[in-house]
Amino acid sequence: MPREAEISVNEREFIQKALQENIRRDGRDFDAFRPLELTFGDEYGVADVQLGKTRVIARISVDVVAPPPERKFDGVFQIITEFSPMASPAFEVGRPTDAEVILSRVLEKAIRRSNALDTESLCIIAGLKCFALRADVHIVDHDGGLIDASCIAVMAALQHFRRPDVLVEGEKATVLSVRERDPIPLSILHQPLSVTFSYYEEGNIWLVDADLAEEQVRQGEVIVTMNRHGEICQINKYGGAPVDPLDFLNLNNIALQKVKDMSKFIQQKLEEDAKRRDAGGLMAELSAENAR
Amino acid sequence: MATSTLVVVPGDEIAQDALPTPTGKKKTLTLGPGLRHIPPNTITTTIAGALATDNRKNAAWIDANSGRYLPTVGDLVIATVQSSAADNFNCAITPNTPYATLPHLAFEGASRKTRPVLLPNSLVYARVVNAGKESSPELTCVDPSTGNSEGLGPLKGGTIFKVSLGMARRLLLRSKGEVTVLDHIGTKVGFEITVGRNGLVHVDGGDVKTVLAVGKAIQETDEQALGEKGQKKLAERILKSL
Amino acid sequence: MAPEATLSHLHRADGSATYSHNGYCIIGAVNGPVEVMRRDELPEEATIEVNVRPAAGVGSPKERHLEMLLHNTLRGIILTRSIPRTLVQITLQVRSLPEEETSCGVSPSLIILPHLLHTALLALLSASIPLSTILTSTLIAIPANSSPLTSPTAPDLLRAKPIRSAHVFAFSADGKMLLNESDGTFNFEEWDEAAETAEQVCCRDEGGVGLGEGMEVDGQEGGNLDVWLREVVNKKVQWETRWKSAK
Repeated sequence: MPREAEISVNEREFIQKALQENIRRDGRDFDAFRPLELTFGDEYGVADVQLGKTRVIARISVDVVAPPPERKFDGVFQIITEFSPMASPAFEVGRPTDAEVILSRVLEKAIRRSNALDTESLCIIAGLKCFALRADVHIVDHDGGLIDASCIAVMAALQHFRRPDVLVEGEKATVLSVRERDPIPLSILHQPLSVTFSYYEEGNIWLVDADLAEEQVRQGEVIVTMNRHGEICQINKYGGAPVDPLDFLNLNNIALQKVKDMSKFIQQKLEEDAKRRDAGGLMAELSAENAR
Repeated sequence: MATSTLVVVPGDEIAQDALPTPTGKKKTLTLGPGLRHIPPNTITTTIAGALATDNRKNAAWIDANSGRYLPTVGDLVIATVQSSAADNFNCAITPNTPYATLPHLAFEGASRKTRPVLLPNSLVYARVVNAGKESSPELTCVDPSTGNSEGLGPLKGGTIFKVSLGMARRLLLRSKGEVTVLDHIGTKVGFEITVGRNGLVHVDGGDVKTVLAVGKAIQETDEQALGEKGQKKLAERILKSL
Repeated sequence: MAPEATLSHLHRADGSATYSHNGYCIIGAVNGPVEVMRRDELPEEATIEVNVRPAAGVGSPKERHLEMLLHNTLRGIILTRSIPRTLVQITLQVRSLPEEETSCGVSPSLIILPHLLHTALLALLSASIPLSTILTSTLIAIPANSSPLTSPTAPDLLRAKPIRSAHVFAFSADGKMLLNESDGTFNFEEWDEAAETAEQVCCRDEGGVGLGEGMEVDGQEGGNLDVWLREVVNKKVQWETRWKSAK
């Protein structure tokens, strides 16, 4: 079975030595993210996130299904992550690695169970029909920081997505195409984003957004997910080495700052995209026509 | 070099007049990477790139700077020791490829009683001695004729940087590769570099900052394809930061 | 419109390409030659693994079918015997596709097939995997009551509905047919004509089409694919050797 190549002894020792001297390999500060890029495609609900050399694409798609009998008033929302050999030959289709399991578990807790999406708004006719929304996360290039990048990608894609409008007449629901009626944005309750901290030397050194080499050397990681109001959705600690519990308070403060920055960044990109779509104020003109 | 290059895609036939005209003693044509001979006398390409020829050596090959490193006899590589078997080390030249063997005795001064001890994931600078497609590649750390290491052997300290295969070739070409940035930096600070054809450069230079600066200089020259002036500017910028 | 392509832009894969044409955008990555699993090892040739990943959802029988077609075609052009007992891993991720894909009256797997083939080929070129030749591919659709369409976009097909038959052809550089998938009802004359048109689009004219000429052809024709592919490779070589002319 193919395995991810381990980091060499020289690199390991060098990274550790450099960290003791307060230096990261790429010259970043300990609490700095790599350059973040976010682009949207022509379609609604596709977000392409680049975090340094890591690249993740999230795509939202929608279907109409019958809701599960135990939750008649809810829609369905799923997040699917499957690694492909594209990001590394060590990823095999149909055989999830630990990283893949952790990623899907964290996304599940961070976004789905924190009720970032109002699933009740996906209900069309209680007990009969609802929207099934799925977010596919494609890892295209892997240089560490997959969790943070995936979280940004999914949240940005959800906010960018527009679902088709429906016309309900009694027990009959008709999904209206884009041409018939403008599609509707999803109802997002809050925006959880993750910040991954890697720790070294029993928690004496904490790094934000470690790259792949730094991830391979770390003792463990703490993933904090919160929204920009500072409401924590989850905290996860992986790796056995003990850390001082008081450190967590500090981590949360750093995470809040980072989440605020990222939320702002996503908002700005969404606005830019909306402006691009609305080139020449065409949207306003069209709606005026409709009113007539 | 400045003459117009012939860009080829796989399957192109190389015309007779594009092949090198032998000026040296060697009469037989040598085909390098990317070319294959279909008897009786057709030469076709197998990869996309630019045709390169050397009249003196009567050789032709395809220049391309992408793809995975393929072990070739005589190449110097930086390999990672994966495990130690009965009488050889298993080394990885590139990730996820079959291991190359490095005999315990292929080190300077090694004998049955004094074998080198190399832990898994340590780095070693070695020469490829066998790279047939029928067997796994074989490495050595001694020159078989003299028994000396000639600079080969375990790499201690420092760290490695990834560069493109083309950059590794240029660094090994020394002056012809037109990488001057290191000369500029070398006038002010001391460091040591080891270049592996498999796209790895090992840098050691005392303190962390110097090593990172040298690594960054090489990687930036590679990624931005800096010319002579650009490299000089980069070197000045890096020296200032040190 | 000629397809757009970017080569070698991913950091981890040995070769990569992003290809966009007619509303499709596909990211291709190739890893190879790498170590092969024992059970897949072939003593005298390389194993080829093709993964087609849809934009939404996980692979279904449709993707398996496409993978098989790609595998059989690519096996014919990869020099598998020169890299025995290794694995060449080709992953194709569909990034975006036209909305009209499912409603245009032609099987979606036929429309996407030429694009997948091109992406795979570009990624293979980027990975410098030894190939015996290059390939180019196109879709020819024959509507019920108008003239055949060459390399149509999904909206084109929607407008020309109903489509009686659709054909995908792939040719090697020397004009040999590597793949043909046809769907619908058609007679031999129609097929023959479609094959001839496809060959004109895919292969370089024996008479020698000028380099500039091929690309200038009106958008409807799609230009000559062989010429386009050489232009992409030209750009790749220029990019790789730009240090020689840098200041």
